[in-house]
Amino acid sequence: MKQTAALTIIVLALIAPACRRARYVEDDTSKVHVGIVFDIGGKDDRSFNAAAWRGVKCAESGTLPDGKTSCDKPALGIVLRDVEPGTPNSIEPAMRAFAERGYDLVIGVGFAQAPIMQVVARDYPDIHFAIIDGVVFADDGKTPMPNVAGLLFKEHEGSYLVGMIAAKTSRTGTLGFVGGMDIPLIRRFEKGYEEGAKAVNPRIQVLQNYVGVTDAAWNNPGKGKELSLAQMDRGADVIFTAAGNSGLGAFDAVEQAGMQNGRATHFVIGVDSNQNMVKPGFVLTSMVKRVDNAVYDIVKEVVEGRFKGGFHVYGLESEGVGYVIDQYNRDLVSPDAIREAEDARKKIISGQIKVTDAMAQ
Amino acid sequence: MRSILTLSLVFSTIRLATPLVWAAIGGLYSERSGVINIALEGLMLAGAFTAAATTYYTHSPWAGLGSAMLAAAFFAFLLAIVCIRFKANEVVAGTGINILFLGLPAVLSGALFLSSGSTPQLPKDELLPEVAQLSVVSLLALLLVFVTQYVLYRTPFGLRLRSVGENPEAADAAGIRVNRLRYTGVVLSGVLAGIGGAYLSIGQSSLFTRNMTAGRGFIALAALIFGKWRPIQTMLACLLFGFADALTIQMQGVAKLPSGEDVPVQFIQMIPYVVTIVVLAGFIGHSRAPGALGVPYDKES
Repeated sequence: MKQTAALTIIVLALIAPACRRARYVEDDTSKVHVGIVFDIGGKDDRSFNAAAWRGVKCAESGTLPDGKTSCDKPALGIVLRDVEPGTPNSIEPAMRAFAERGYDLVIGVGFAQAPIMQVVARDYPDIHFAIIDGVVFADDGKTPMPNVAGLLFKEHEGSYLVGMIAAKTSRTGTLGFVGGMDIPLIRRFEKGYEEGAKAVNPRIQVLQNYVGVTDAAWNNPGKGKELSLAQMDRGADVIFTAAGNSGLGAFDAVEQAGMQNGRATHFVIGVDSNQNMVKPGFVLTSMVKRVDNAVYDIVKEVVEGRFKGGFHVYGLESEGVGYVIDQYNRDLVSPDAIREAEDARKKIISGQIKVTDAMAQ
Repeated sequence: MRSILTLSLVFSTIRLATPLVWAAIGGLYSERSGVINIALEGLMLAGAFTAAATTYYTHSPWAGLGSAMLAAAFFAFLLAIVCIRFKANEVVAGTGINILFLGLPAVLSGALFLSSGSTPQLPKDELLPEVAQLSVVSLLALLLVFVTQYVLYRTPFGLRLRSVGENPEAADAAGIRVNRLRYTGVVLSGVLAGIGGAYLSIGQSSLFTRNMTAGRGFIALAALIFGKWRPIQTMLACLLFGFADALTIQMQGVAKLPSGEDVPVQFIQMIPYVVTIVVLAGFIGHSRAPGALGVPYDKES
């Protein structure tokens, strides 16, 4: 009896702080409600999910997630709720919960949510859905579902440009690529990168590694670092990562290699968000994927009542992908490299250069 | 094809085996005293998060390492109370700790860093120092194994710990305080697993990310069983797992099929698991657990 009482007290002591603030919040029903379900990486992966978070935060408050800096776009007056699923199994209940509570727009972050959204969106035809990096088809398997917007990016085009910059910068003639989970989407980054590098130097070698084949591959910086070290050991001096949190291990690896005469001996190229400031001096550039703009736009469409289902494709022409030159890397990239990359950018937009899309093969 | 058997493979193996050795030897102290410690994964996460957060505030990796030991020891103590005092099922209680640490770092990092499960990245000079490509934690791991070997087989404490795990009734009759030794074993396992976790966040990497152990606690547990609950064998098992992992890293993109194509990544990443199965099934033979493992001790029964 005494033991039961003691156990009860321990359990109550543990859950009491959680209960204190768990009041039911009455939302303003006149506002547009937006729910976002993140990928396993979580919203502060400094990369892909972080970009989606910036987009919805901007739509909610007109600021960046720090709540102070302006995002240079007007707030749209929405109610925003977010869920970070701990495991893939909690994605569907989260999505359903938003739909069940009558949210106006439910955003799914990441390709892995497409099959789940297909099921949920069919059950709630009156609710708008948006999925990043995914496509959701109706039951016939051909036409896109009318209440789902697929936000897609031409990652291969942006990767092509950073591949050129990498090849212009490399002194060893060997580049590295570290992908997260081995999926067609990440192959698209890799293929574009390799083509861009080969356009500059046909004899360049591109080493490619993947952290894993399950979604744990996005959250394993230790392994990301080991892969990068192994590539550096084989001569790679510029490494492009597309691996979520695991990619941060590559940043540690190049920093560990250190500097010579004030310049880093090895560089890393960031992905999705601008990662130039993560390790200043070691980050050559970042291949940004403007998930934030795409998410803001789709929220705006819903607020203004002009939501359209189907594919929304963001490429170089709409600045949906690209590379970043800012105060952190201006001295690292040669003007010559920037000139060639800009030239290629125009040619890709005009169709003179065709970059292979590894997902279309 | 360039040879993959290079010195860097050796270093890579040691780096990858380090967290496993700390956690597995931690588990050894707990399990040799008779308490199943399936919570190694969670205790490592506790250490990893605390180390990264403390180092961020104090700018000292040593403070980070110390706090990681304390934090993991605290949660190991909770586990010990639940399992020893209240005789809860040890597997269930351990799983509870693991699940707790899927969520707790996210909550705490939200309060401390406005993030949801990761800590800010630390600059390189605030990480645990390295000696000749290897972290001091790796070198200490080797020392730990031999100290453990000595303590377990050459000291009265080791003898008592083993007797409590094998036959608590006999130990009790000989005047040994069974539960006090079990508390010590479990808390020690927390301290050591915490160091293993700290190595992940402030040695190998420079930040904590959610669930960054990625199953290493369970692999450590497997190494412990595989090493028959003996320190040196356990270390060798950890090195084997580390080697298999390092091999997959070095082979990826290097190994070619006879046709000239790269060997598929999926195939290469299968290697550690195949090695585990083959070694466990083929070479190890019968692995006998401590006699009273998982059985709470009750004086009256």
